[in-house]
Amino acid sequence: MTALELSEIQAYLIKDYKEMGSSKYYLMQVKDATAAKKFLASVADSITHANTPINETYLNIGVTSKGLMALGYNNEENLHTFSREFREGMVTPHRQRLLGDFDSSDPSKWQWGGPANERVDLILMVFGKNDTIAENYFQSLKQKFEPGFSVVHVLNGKPLPNDREHFGFRDGISQPVIKGSNIAPAGNNNDINPGEFVLGYKNEYNIYPDAPLLKVPQGNLELLADNPDRYEDKETGKTFKDIGRNGTYFVLRQLEQNVDGYWSFLKKQTIDEHGNTNNKEATKIAAKLIGRWPSGAPLIDYPDNDPGGNSDDNSFSYIKKDKDGEKCPFGSHIRRTNPRDHFEESPPGVSLKLTRRHRIMRRVRSYGEDFIGSVENHKPNGEVGLLFGCFNANISKQFEFIQYTWANSPKFKKLYDDPDPIIGVREKPGSGVNQVFTIPQKTVNKVIPDLQRFVTVKGGAYFFFPSVSVLKFLGTI
Amino acid sequence: MIKQHPLIILSPVKKDKLETLDKRLSVIRENLQQGTETEFKKVSTLHYGRWVILSRESFRDEPAVPVGTRLIFSTNFDGDKETHLTELVTVLTKYIDDIYECCEGYPEPGARTTESRKNYLKKYMVKTSAFFNGAPGRSVSQIHQEESLREYIWKYINTNKWDEKTTAVEIHKAIKKEIDLNPEFEWSKQKAEVQGIKWFKIISYGLLLLILIPIIIIWALYIFIFHELWNKKETLTLSQLDDKKVNELKKVEDLFPQNQFTQVAVLKPGLVRNINFRIWMLRTSVLANNVFVHGKLLNIPTIHFARWVLFDNNKHVLFFSNFDGNWQQYLGDFIDQSGWGLTGIFSNTMNFPKTKFMITGGAYDEEHFLAWSRSTQVPTQVWYCPYPHLSIKNINNNTKIRNELRMNLNEEQAKIFLKRF
Repeated sequence: MTALELSEIQAYLIKDYKEMGSSKYYLMQVKDATAAKKFLASVADSITHANTPINETYLNIGVTSKGLMALGYNNEENLHTFSREFREGMVTPHRQRLLGDFDSSDPSKWQWGGPANERVDLILMVFGKNDTIAENYFQSLKQKFEPGFSVVHVLNGKPLPNDREHFGFRDGISQPVIKGSNIAPAGNNNDINPGEFVLGYKNEYNIYPDAPLLKVPQGNLELLADNPDRYEDKETGKTFKDIGRNGTYFVLRQLEQNVDGYWSFLKKQTIDEHGNTNNKEATKIAAKLIGRWPSGAPLIDYPDNDPGGNSDDNSFSYIKKDKDGEKCPFGSHIRRTNPRDHFEESPPGVSLKLTRRHRIMRRVRSYGEDFIGSVENHKPNGEVGLLFGCFNANISKQFEFIQYTWANSPKFKKLYDDPDPIIGVREKPGSGVNQVFTIPQKTVNKVIPDLQRFVTVKGGAYFFFPSVSVLKFLGTI
Repeated sequence: MIKQHPLIILSPVKKDKLETLDKRLSVIRENLQQGTETEFKKVSTLHYGRWVILSRESFRDEPAVPVGTRLIFSTNFDGDKETHLTELVTVLTKYIDDIYECCEGYPEPGARTTESRKNYLKKYMVKTSAFFNGAPGRSVSQIHQEESLREYIWKYINTNKWDEKTTAVEIHKAIKKEIDLNPEFEWSKQKAEVQGIKWFKIISYGLLLLILIPIIIIWALYIFIFHELWNKKETLTLSQLDDKKVNELKKVEDLFPQNQFTQVAVLKPGLVRNINFRIWMLRTSVLANNVFVHGKLLNIPTIHFARWVLFDNNKHVLFFSNFDGNWQQYLGDFIDQSGWGLTGIFSNTMNFPKTKFMITGGAYDEEHFLAWSRSTQVPTQVWYCPYPHLSIKNINNNTKIRNELRMNLNEEQAKIFLKRF
């Protein structure tokens, strides 16, 4: 197994920084390229990499494709080696269809990252034990990055207690572990070849993922490694330098959560002939939509009741215990976005292998009030939501595949009209289209009709997270 | 059982009419996308139809013979060809005239009759080399009928309150009774014929292969030593493809839950590669007709219709597919489920990622295979599907619903029946 060059890899890919009470994402724009590059060259040594000791603050940096150009990395041939998804960004007509960003989630209505918003070039991610520490750290950085950059938008995230999200569910239980990253193996098919997450290493196809190369020399080449596939210039025979090595791509989406709408909708499903709602039943339906109880306990092991507490149970699989979906519905959020041993109709062994090719390293934070919803309490003050983030080496095969093929498509598996009830429902599905959720039962399936969308996209972008050396290199172009 | 067949017509486009043709096709495409096109669904025998402009620029690699600009017309249809052609030229007369006016040799306005139009189309007809149908025997009207039956039962089940003690058998009986009372579903009393796997043919085919093993090994070794070893390693990746081309392809993708794929490739030169390609075609054909009859082509569960067409003196090959989901998923499935099957076929075409013994390398070289697929793909000008909101799994499931409705089921079977909704 290849050991990862941990001192080169930005640590947020490897570690979740959950111990950090404050996560501040500064979306920035290049104002003066020379000053901006000077800042990057100097800050590279302060970047938190995977070998950085535990600290009170962490710092990571990503750039958008527009940011690369604004910095002066604008040779067409060089840019063209970056993945198409990254180059195009999150907002294109085709990508809007793939990601399902319509109606209230239309990019034209976004608060950042959309066509009506200021251009985002770079994301400065500042983490601190608490808000004050993070803020102080940011102020010290600000003195260095001005006048190279200006801040166009700030996202204030934090983990909610017990890793809950605002709807009330424990989140982020199933995470991949990158082989060779010095993190204890997770078992249960979660240990993934590094090339699924880090460029320059082999992925689950046992090949190197498509990665950016320096076709036309620029900047200080000594900071760059050779590409592992040994692609070379046809004329000079020299191998191209590798810009991607130890880097990765990051997806960020701000998802507003309508907690009140969500729980009110679920309660409405339980109204009996006397007009009374049933809280226990509403929570059970909520669990069916997710595939886990609020505590995180999986329906596969706890089909009838929430055992309570906080569960990290991630050792289950589907075929043996629930081939018909009577415990955990096929359409539930966790069963579609991580099908484990039940990928389409493939046998378990093949399923496990195929699932490993579509994983993402989730890095999520909540924003807004510290509010954990439940069937009894679902009215937060002001806007609350999730800063959904994920790392992947191939945005198309990983994040976009999960969002489109598994979440948005109502035809998932053998279903007819069932989008992912949490992240795949269309606000205005078109006339005659009924979006439903099917709960398989012993005889007659239970159907939750007229699904509504409770998540609104408020902003988003694709970033490239370079290695420490490449960040330094970008300061020399 | 009504059989489905492929139709493909390749007609030369008049040089000075290419722009007009392109415009006319884009009007039809726009109308289809907006849902304002109303003519195609009147063609009762038409499953899928597409028009594709195939020019020199459509070829990623140097064509083996000089090629002009041609218009591809392809359909998948029910029943016999004559009826289908007659329906096409009588129902879609305006489209056919507008489009083929831009092509060489189309009858002048005064000379256009049903017969002359049909004769024109027949003149440019090309043979399909291998054909796959995801729901053999299901006609367009049957697909619509069975979906309406499924919807009706779905509503019936969900508007009734079922006592917890009601057994699956009792519910099944109640559904049957409800449907029997409804004359609209009279047709469903007749069992739908479904093609089974033809075991005898498959076993004979398997035995033949066993006998031929020594020859196959020598053949594979020969190809390996004299061909595969000399193939260059492919270095093109997805990111490096021409943006304009990819954007043109994406423009017409993911508008519906289903998508189309049109691809043109050039066979590697020489008799050996040509024979080899045809052997793989034959194999695919035998399997598609006898084994892949339950909605999966080489284990891929999302394809409605697919076909390979050798043309231009067997030097070029077209591949068409109509599938559920999107490009990334579809091509991913090709690699994950049947990389070997595809590698065998396409290893005989130019610049396919390097293979070994025709079964490894190739499609398993994911990054380069995807780039090869995209770079050989051709934009489809017009694409029609009469049931864009039904997956192939839905279609096959609907037939099972219809047939199981009429059967006497035990409790376990009745439970399976109810799970289909």
